[in-house]
Amino acid sequence: MAAPGNLAVLESDLQSAVTLLKNLQDQVMAVTAQVQALTKKVQARAYPTEKGLSLLEVKDQLLLMYLMDLTHLILDKASGGSLQGHAAVLRLVEIRTVLEKLRPLDQKLKYQIDKLVKTAVTGILSENDPLRFKPHPSNMMSKLSSEDEEEDEAEGQSEASGKKSVKGTVKKYVPPRLVPVHYDETEAEREKKRLERARKRALSSSVIRELKEQYSDAPEEIRDARHPHVTRQSQEDQHRINYEESMMVRLSVSKREKGRRKRASVMNSQLHSLTHFSDISALTGGTPHLDEDQNPIKKRKKIPKKSRKKTGFRRRR
Amino acid sequence: MTNRLLQRKQMVIDVHHPGKATVPKSEIWEKLAEMYKIADVIFVFGFRAHFGGGQTTGFGMIYDSLDYAKKNKPKHRLARHSLYEKKKTSRKQRKEEYNNRMTKVRRTAKANVGPGKKK
Repeated sequence: MAAPGNLAVLESDLQSAVTLLKNLQDQVMAVTAQVQALTKKVQARAYPTEKGLSLLEVKDQLLLMYLMDLTHLILDKASGGSLQGHAAVLRLVEIRTVLEKLRPLDQKLKYQIDKLVKTAVTGILSENDPLRFKPHPSNMMSKLSSEDEEEDEAEGQSEASGKKSVKGTVKKYVPPRLVPVHYDETEAEREKKRLERARKRALSSSVIRELKEQYSDAPEEIRDARHPHVTRQSQEDQHRINYEESMMVRLSVSKREKGRRKRASVMNSQLHSLTHFSDISALTGGTPHLDEDQNPIKKRKKIPKKSRKKTGFRRRR
Repeated sequence: MTNRLLQRKQMVIDVHHPGKATVPKSEIWEKLAEMYKIADVIFVFGFRAHFGGGQTTGFGMIYDSLDYAKKNKPKHRLARHSLYEKKKTSRKQRKEEYNNRMTKVRRTAKANVGPGKKK
């Protein structure tokens, strides 16, 4: 009694099968038309690919081969053949593996490809493109025409060179995102940090450096380098210079500041450095004595300061 | 650097003059005028020589036009280029005149006495 039941199932299936086959036929016709158009265009050399990225070319060819093998398999299966041990299957597997291996390369080139596509579509480079900020050698040439006439002056020529930075278009100010971090540094950690810093400073002091030079086989280097120890005074001077140049004003130097500067410069110019060495107790484990250019750590009293005009410059100590 | 708010271009100027004394401002002004071909809207100031000589650093500003320069520049800088003449009367004289006028007037009329009003 299963036959009539099967017949009913078969009938309903037949309907859907016929409609599906019809759909398939329509779609196949559409796809064939498109593929033929594409082939005509390619044969008419509408898509030259010699100067393009070779990776993309390889991918194109691989995908085409994959499609061909797949259609071959479908044809065989549709005409009743078995897929067991079919040569096309092995080829498909090989192409698939190669495509998978190409994927990370594709990732790496993604930025370049996107930029190229964008340039091709819009026709112009975007504003933030780093290729736009090339150096302009013509700006570095001196524009003084009367230089030759001054050649017969005494020693040097006097040259005026202007420092100008070319700024792009004005962008909206985005404040920096600073995430507050919880502060829970214990006394022990602070001590450890201090010790670490003292050790680093001791390792780069002149005593240790000379010992190193004595026992190493490397040739002796005479370098014209900046002073390795940035003193507080030199840091302040640098801060002052930066402020002056960015604000285009000249700040006045108070008497106290003048005295400090003089003391710092005098200390470096005298024979002070011949007899006073920096502190290496961090390495030897003795008692620390302070270096002369470091101020002794004093507890500052809270004295209310009078408001000054140029408050933007004063740093809180 | 272009400063659109004050309609000018501002820059830091480094002068190298090894073996010579500090270059006077007028010379630097002339040189800049040659370089940029405009003479009357350039202002230079604040030249300080570095330690040891040979290099001087200062500031320079190039305004878009003379009107903007007159509006935005402090008066003593304009006066250096003789674009501005300040009053020759001293502060003491002016205060004396003002106080004398105030003494002649009673109560609320004192508010109407201005420094230049009764000339």
